[in-house]
Amino acid sequence: MTRQKSLIVVLLLGTALMLGAQSKPSEATFSLNWTAHPAYSLIGSDPKRVEYLKAAIAEWQKQYPNVKLEANILPTNNAEAMAKLLEQAAQGRAPDIAQIDTYIFPRYLPYLQPIDDLVKAAGIDMKDFFPFAEKIVRGKDGKVYGIQFTTDVRVLFYRKDLVVNPPKTWDDILKISKALKDKGFDAFLFPAGRAEGSVNTSLWPMFWGQGGELVDGNGKAVFGIGANREKMLNILEFYKELVDKGYSPSRLANYGNEADLNTEVAAGRVAMFLGGNFQVAQLASIIGKEGLAKWGVARIPQRVGAKNATSAGGWSWGFFTKEAAKRKAAFDLVLQAYVGDDGMACWTSVAGYLPTRKSVFANPKYQSNEYSDIFKEILETDGMVRPAAEIYPRISSEMQIALSAVISGTKTPEKALDDAWAAVNK
Amino acid sequence: MNRTVSRPPHEGILLFWLLPLAIVCMSVFVIPVVQIVRWSFTDSSLMKEGHELSFRAYIALLSSNDFMSILRTTLIFVISSVLLQVALGFVIALFLDYGDRRGLRGTIIVRTAVLVSWAIPGVVAGVIWKMMFSEMDSGLITSLAHFIVPASRPRFLSSPAAALASSVVANVWRGTAYSMILLYAGLMTFPNDLNEASQIDGANAFQRLFQIKIPVLAPLFLICILLVTVQTFNTFDMLMALTGGGPGRGTEVLALYIYKTIFTEFNLGRGSAAAVLLLLINVAMTWVYFCFLKRGTA
Repeated sequence: MTRQKSLIVVLLLGTALMLGAQSKPSEATFSLNWTAHPAYSLIGSDPKRVEYLKAAIAEWQKQYPNVKLEANILPTNNAEAMAKLLEQAAQGRAPDIAQIDTYIFPRYLPYLQPIDDLVKAAGIDMKDFFPFAEKIVRGKDGKVYGIQFTTDVRVLFYRKDLVVNPPKTWDDILKISKALKDKGFDAFLFPAGRAEGSVNTSLWPMFWGQGGELVDGNGKAVFGIGANREKMLNILEFYKELVDKGYSPSRLANYGNEADLNTEVAAGRVAMFLGGNFQVAQLASIIGKEGLAKWGVARIPQRVGAKNATSAGGWSWGFFTKEAAKRKAAFDLVLQAYVGDDGMACWTSVAGYLPTRKSVFANPKYQSNEYSDIFKEILETDGMVRPAAEIYPRISSEMQIALSAVISGTKTPEKALDDAWAAVNK
Repeated sequence: MNRTVSRPPHEGILLFWLLPLAIVCMSVFVIPVVQIVRWSFTDSSLMKEGHELSFRAYIALLSSNDFMSILRTTLIFVISSVLLQVALGFVIALFLDYGDRRGLRGTIIVRTAVLVSWAIPGVVAGVIWKMMFSEMDSGLITSLAHFIVPASRPRFLSSPAAALASSVVANVWRGTAYSMILLYAGLMTFPNDLNEASQIDGANAFQRLFQIKIPVLAPLFLICILLVTVQTFNTFDMLMALTGGGPGRGTEVLALYIYKTIFTEFNLGRGSAAAVLLLLINVAMTWVYFCFLKRGTA
């Protein structure tokens, strides 16, 4: 009995010591090099974001009073920022923790450190993440090397007062568009210019929906040969038909980003358009909540027989530091501000992004809108990410040119696709 | 007879004071240029470590139809922009000079107004003109076109030829001020006695302009053309915002191609090879400039 009592006392003391140790501020003294995109940092232009981050960092600093946070900023051009960060990592000059454009995350894996122990200790269930967000941060060894903390999704926006049943297939679009055109509307808009938005929103979801592959398992481009060529050609021909029939204007050839469509929407002559969830906030500020209420959201229409698919993006945190204390401090920082239950709920609400953890949608601190549920549903079932292959940026660039050339009437779909394929393989 | 060459006094000290300038020139100009030339002979990518030495980047560039089309677009853009900028700059400078000589008020306002366009960053100028050329009914120039020809459907930015013309217009709007400043400075220093003598000899305004003013200002015109040409060859920020190089490759000039190849396709080797070609064009321009300058001072 005495021995049992002693054991209980020891266990209680141990538990108390552990609890005490958990709440006790870390005494470690070091500098933590944190590199973030300007809009996700303390120098952002949005006062609400900055205010939130200041408070979150102050809270984290209570836990790490002796850690000096050295904040660095990535260039605003995402492609340039990621290229520079990769160069730094390759030269062994990477920061302790950095923000990484998620689709390109696998390219950083050789330089990142696993964080499975920290994820487990924080009580975060990786299965709580959307499938694409959970998969992309895992290495070939199955370990977790980062955390995707925001995402976005491409969808169909449609005017509820004009389109009763949103189109599910390309045939539906063609049928609905005729009536809309006769009423004087621009029936169906989509970005088709020289920027990533045009391929990410207008091409890839429909290509993936047909089962198309941009690159093979070895990272070699395959979009322009065999069945993939046919699938890509189907999309370009469909868009050409829309322009030829006057359902979509040729000026789309100059709209490279989803947000370029906002002025068209604001003018009140658009019935349907392909865009991103982030346009909800943008449009609310342009056309007001009443104007926005006219718009509904649905899955991106696909070719008859194709499955549902869409493109999901977002940002992740990657951990480069090999020092255990720094890794812990860095993890706790992102947990506090961006990844924890409240952190992700607050950050995505303040910044207008979508959470990557399904449970956060139900968090009382997450400010959802009328579209949140459908965004979540689409992300969970249809979300796909662009390949991280070295050739991908070239494919993207050449297909932007191809789409833009088809919409402007400069090239036929066949010629545009063949030219893009030839250029990628040059 | 022994002849000793006398060295200028304090030569050693002078060289010492030039040393910082030499270091700065080496580090901010020579080393980066050498690095770009080195990269151009590799297959370097910003997405992978290591590289192989080869002529592949130059071969791929020079054998590519796309690159030839980019060079053609660049030449059209540069020649049209330079001719229009210099011509318009001279016309504005003439008006300003005329106004100054007659003590007219408002020339400072005109000068300032013209200079504002030059002071505006390229990206902002691109955004402004993108709004002006918007093909929506609400676009300023589109609505003007509708007003004049109600059934017209202008495609300022969605047709490759029209987009290139629109880009030239935007670039001329932005760059005319530079030519105006240079030529206005020349007109300000134009010898008045020459002007008066030609008037006494009975030369009319056109004769004074084409047979006296323009020939006297010819060296300045040449300098202006050369500087504006080099500047226009290097333009990409405004085009990036205005058209992004599209539709298709309709407005993709060499400088924009270099930027996109390196920073969106991460192809450092090919981008550097194109940058070396652009550098050679600029060096050729500068060489012409120095030759004429030498001839002018001889």
